[in-house]
Amino acid sequence: MSEEDNIKQQLTEKFAFLSEKITVKRARRIFADIPLANFPEVFDYAVKQLKFSILAAITGLDEGATLGFIYHIARENGIVLNLHTSTVKDKQAIKTVTGYFPAADAYERELVDLFGAQVEGLPQGNRYPLPDGWPANQFPLRKDWNVEMLDKKEVNKNA
Amino acid sequence: MHSHDFQIPIGPQHPALKEPESFLLTMHGEKITSMTVRLGYNHRGIEKACEAQSYIQDIYLIERVCGICSHSHATCFIQAIEEIAGLAVPKRALYIRTLIAELERVHSHLLWLGVAGHEIGFDTLLMYTWRDREVVMDILALLTGNRVNYSMNTIGGVRRDITAEQKQEILKATDTLEERTKYYIQIATEETTIIKRLSGVGMLLYDDAVNLGAVGPTARASGVDRDIRRDDPYAAYGELKFNVITDKHCDVYGRAVVRVLELMESYKIIRQVLADMPEGPITVKAPRKIPAGEALSRYEAPRGEDVHYVKANGTDRPERVKVRAPTLANVQVVAHMLKDRYLADMPIVIAAIDPCFSCTDRLTSLRDSDSGSKNYMTWPALRSYSIEWHRKQGIDFSDLNKKFKVPGN
Amino acid sequence: MANVLFNILIFPGFLFASVFSLTAEYVDRKLCAKLQNRVGPPWYQPLADFIKLLAKEDIVPQQADSTIFTLMPSIAFTATLTAFFCIPLWQTQSVYPFSSDLIVVLYLLTIPTLTFFLGGWYARSVFSMIGAARAIIQLFAYEIPLFLSILAPAMLAGTLSLSEMTVFYSHHPWLVLLNLMNFAIALVALLGKLEKTPFDIPEAETEIVAGTFTEYSGRLLAFFRIAIDMEMVAGSSLLAAVFLPFGFNLGPALGFILYLAKVLFVVALLSLARTIFARLRIDQMINLCWKYIAPAAFLLLVVDLIVKGFIVK
Repeated sequence: MSEEDNIKQQLTEKFAFLSEKITVKRARRIFADIPLANFPEVFDYAVKQLKFSILAAITGLDEGATLGFIYHIARENGIVLNLHTSTVKDKQAIKTVTGYFPAADAYERELVDLFGAQVEGLPQGNRYPLPDGWPANQFPLRKDWNVEMLDKKEVNKNA
Repeated sequence: MHSHDFQIPIGPQHPALKEPESFLLTMHGEKITSMTVRLGYNHRGIEKACEAQSYIQDIYLIERVCGICSHSHATCFIQAIEEIAGLAVPKRALYIRTLIAELERVHSHLLWLGVAGHEIGFDTLLMYTWRDREVVMDILALLTGNRVNYSMNTIGGVRRDITAEQKQEILKATDTLEERTKYYIQIATEETTIIKRLSGVGMLLYDDAVNLGAVGPTARASGVDRDIRRDDPYAAYGELKFNVITDKHCDVYGRAVVRVLELMESYKIIRQVLADMPEGPITVKAPRKIPAGEALSRYEAPRGEDVHYVKANGTDRPERVKVRAPTLANVQVVAHMLKDRYLADMPIVIAAIDPCFSCTDRLTSLRDSDSGSKNYMTWPALRSYSIEWHRKQGIDFSDLNKKFKVPGN
Repeated sequence: MANVLFNILIFPGFLFASVFSLTAEYVDRKLCAKLQNRVGPPWYQPLADFIKLLAKEDIVPQQADSTIFTLMPSIAFTATLTAFFCIPLWQTQSVYPFSSDLIVVLYLLTIPTLTFFLGGWYARSVFSMIGAARAIIQLFAYEIPLFLSILAPAMLAGTLSLSEMTVFYSHHPWLVLLNLMNFAIALVALLGKLEKTPFDIPEAETEIVAGTFTEYSGRLLAFFRIAIDMEMVAGSSLLAAVFLPFGFNLGPALGFILYLAKVLFVVALLSLARTIFARLRIDQMINLCWKYIAPAAFLLLVVDLIVKGFIVK
């Protein structure tokens, strides 16, 4: 059995609800869809027990009514586990992973700035990547957003 | 903050930074006590723009995420699309991609060596390395028609083939570069002022490098044995023999050593690629519309691991493109490396991660133009001020455009 | 009176010193470029730079003390110009010789550094204040070795008058060899004084923009720059007079050419050092000066005193 299938099996044994939700798309690429409520425990297990010790990136997605988040975590030998979860827009929050990966700070701020995600436990700090004067409730990477929605006067006032 | 402490703004505009980013240093005399980083000055909304254009247009946009590692971003992006579309890219195309990738690494590392020299006030090294860098730039221009932004990639392969004569030219250039690199290795190991300025500066221990998520030569100089080319092979790297260079110095000196030795590995790879390059087509036909799906692509850019995530929705435009450039991972360790160090070490420590902020940020500047604020000067206002000032000095520039026909005016 | 005016305005004063300084800057830049594999500037570039700066707007920062800020470049310029009158150029006599003029020359050449400090400090910008602090710290590091290394040949000659020193060494030419090490130390110290790499710490552009000169522009900067060039030439002339004291009896024409050659030789040595070293950190610079260079200079002074006591009666 390949290492990828082995990881899949370990995950399904530990978390029965994942049985239909894990796919190995190609060598070294595993994708899994995880309900928001179970996400912290699965993430903890993957990082600590399965030794996915590198955070490659966190991708945000606008999925209509919900916001999707994919945590790309990797092993030393190149296998990447892509953990997907989603939250209801402007209602639910994800928990920060800066406790596991201090570098996640920048990726999570990006989610906050560009998608309007709510991240619980994210430490205080400068915003990234948008300017300090950026108006509230303008999230550029949401599908319903376009440049015309931006009031330039307001941006300048705040700058 | 202690009463004798003061703050120095390094950036957004500062001679040590080649691109606008802001580092606010709290100083105690010549020592740095703390530092905050503010990124985002280069954010251009590329990810959003990608969603509004076709895949083919996106290649050219993604290539402009960064000038130095343009091939890295383009290849990384295309690999994801090809994976979603299930395209079997011809081997020759993969070899050509690898060749350009390594030539790009050579030019990027030589560029870095020069910048590093400049940051520690050793301009002679800058002049020498940048002179030699021209050799590889010429080769890139010969192969692709461009010195940067090579546009070699297309979905399903590459756009230009390599001829036998070009191969000879590359081999000749590689020999010259190898000889010059040996000379730089000698300088790096023997020149005392360089060693004095680099050793023990910007320390990043193994545990911190792993914990803070450093990538590329920055991590490898702290003994972290990671290289995507070997760990998660792409293009032709799975079939090539090369060493992953690591170093135990954990300081800026180690980072210089890693980069210089990586140059030697790149020459090795270039020779292998040229010797083993199979014959055959360089491209397969790719569909205009990419079927729904998602893929994550990783790539060892000269600065470290580049990550692209692409989600396709069955149309000719991507649903989502996510770019994680290596500098975003590395810039977060800079604050750690600079704590309790001297101000004089700041430029070289920042430079030692080989920062590329365009890659990292990927906003249009929204400052001014119609704000009406008196603090700003618009371009025409600045221009008329200048003309008025010179007129007071007795020099009239106002009819200059009539005398010399300026194109576009 | 006409003679005095000629000395001040034409030779060795304003006109000659300015032209020669710009020439020396050209030599320095061109040589540096050649050593770095570059083409380098055309011969008129230093003059063109000077004229261009004169045409630019003078900006005095709001928070700066405008009197001190605007006064400093002219003080630096005048001090270095004055030094020319007391250094023997091609004759054994300087234009206005007097006893102990060596001390006066050394102090006149210290004034530019003090003006850099005051100008930078009263500009009240973060970068120029750090540059000013560094300039003054550096002053304490190189000044002692410079004084000691020049004092040793003076002790040997038994005089503090530059003119008398050149006369002494014309009569005892072999004793010049004894001072070669002092020459090397004086060169290092002069690099520190001129704030050239590896001691360009007060104006390290990648760290503190332009250090002391960050807020300077236009005419003020132009005069600061020409003062530095002039300091380079005056410093090199001083080194040439003290350490290369030969050929003073060749007559005006040949002697003058020899003088130019000597100064340009010293300038060339400075450019060479500029191209082969990286910039040191301020703490490394102080360590170098106090741990190695100052003790060495002191030791050489003792050697010269011993030689004087036993050999030269």
